[in-house]
Amino acid sequence: MLEPVMYEGGVYKHNHMVELVEDLGGYILQKNVLQTGVVLLMLVPINDMEIVENKARDLLGKVTRAPLTGTEIATVAPTLAYHHLPHLDCDVAEFLRKKGAKTNMIGLARGVGKRICQITAYERDLINEHDVAVFVLGNYEHCIIEKSKRFYEGIEIPIIVTGAPELKTEDVPNATAYVGNFGRILHHMRHSEELRTLDKLADVIGNVLDNTRMEIAKDPLAVAPPRIKKEIEEQVQEIIDSLHPLPITLQMNGARVKLPYKEYHEQIENIKFVEGVTMKEVARVLPSKMRDFILIKALPRSETGFVI
Amino acid sequence: MEQLDTITVECADAVGAKATRILIQDNLADLSLNRAIGRLKVFMDPVESVFIFAATLRLGTPAIKLKDFARVEMGSLGRDEVRIELEREVYTVKLLNKLWERYGKENVEQPDKKVIVVKTDPVKEVDALRELVIEERQQEILDRLIDAIALRIIPEGFRVRKHELSTSHVLFVASEDTLKPEWIKKGKDMMDTLRREENA
Repeated sequence: MLEPVMYEGGVYKHNHMVELVEDLGGYILQKNVLQTGVVLLMLVPINDMEIVENKARDLLGKVTRAPLTGTEIATVAPTLAYHHLPHLDCDVAEFLRKKGAKTNMIGLARGVGKRICQITAYERDLINEHDVAVFVLGNYEHCIIEKSKRFYEGIEIPIIVTGAPELKTEDVPNATAYVGNFGRILHHMRHSEELRTLDKLADVIGNVLDNTRMEIAKDPLAVAPPRIKKEIEEQVQEIIDSLHPLPITLQMNGARVKLPYKEYHEQIENIKFVEGVTMKEVARVLPSKMRDFILIKALPRSETGFVI
Repeated sequence: MEQLDTITVECADAVGAKATRILIQDNLADLSLNRAIGRLKVFMDPVESVFIFAATLRLGTPAIKLKDFARVEMGSLGRDEVRIELEREVYTVKLLNKLWERYGKENVEQPDKKVIVVKTDPVKEVDALRELVIEERQQEILDRLIDAIALRIIPEGFRVRKHELSTSHVLFVASEDTLKPEWIKKGKDMMDTLRREENA
């Protein structure tokens, strides 16, 4: 099993860390160089964590567990009006991004109100393409509970709800987890108390993702998503020219490839692994609801009968 | 900035009331409306879904004229021009736009940061220029106020609305469902209470 971690250290000799992780069979997912510092988001084999931690100590860097690494999270606002944006929604999305997740902000067309809220089939499918959906709701307990009764219909991924009142998760219907102390906030969240709330949200999402990881581990994927990413980078040259942020976005059970489906799906389906199998044998290559991108979902071992 | 005299949020949900109060304060501060509002009262019932917003206004500042922030004189002897010497630069952009519109860009010169020369008949125009209205404060404040209340404060799902707006008060009753007459009556009662409190 691969452990998602974040390495923060100096630029000097950080390539030693990169090489070590690659040699151990791990993956570097993202590298951000910030002046003299570097932040690496990586997946490390869980049995070799100690070696990586020792290396980090030698380089005077720090390795922390980042459970949000390699996941794609949808931050859903009832609409894109000033009521919800730019504060709060962007703060949440940005904070989760800093913790290593790729966040997409989704503003619904008619998500407002307690009785009149609606979600369209397209929006539902789009949200279902992510690993977790964070629904950023408002101030009133009654409204949050009433709205939750019908609002998330058809959403199959874990649902995290935020709002102002402190509620228990079991009081909010259909929610996987609830985080309080948010509500409709119209200022930048920067006070220590607010940052603690954001930290709590990241922890809750981390736990939810860990649970999903454990579920996946029971019936492991035939191919690990970072492996899909690596093979596409090596075999599909055009991905290098893609100007989208994170041209290959990792998810827990697959990846989103930001290339047009029509032109590239065959090429991707026929990608060869050194083990002698092609992509279509270990994963489903599907059209994504997001633009004309490609969505790859790795198949579990129970379907393929093998793991590469 | 002056703080509001009073701001009350009445709601059975205490946490929601507190969050709404912070939300209103943030909004008014964002749009620099703290000085414009005297007293403010909000009633919210999440179960019945009704939101009533009542406030008394203080739009005291009259319109700003050119003579309020500049010296307007005849230009150099023998030339057809009016010389405007600015004492405050805040309104320069608005002033220039008005002058361009009225006299054309070719007739407006700005030889110095604080000096504007307009080529026109000084005898006729000096007095008119002195009285030129540069900024309608009251209207601008009202515009911002509507922006704050209707587009930012009232919960977005509450799309059925009734409002009253004057230079002295503002009242909004909003709901998700058809408005009940008793809500509108409650709004008016709240408005009367606010007025009484302010006059007391």
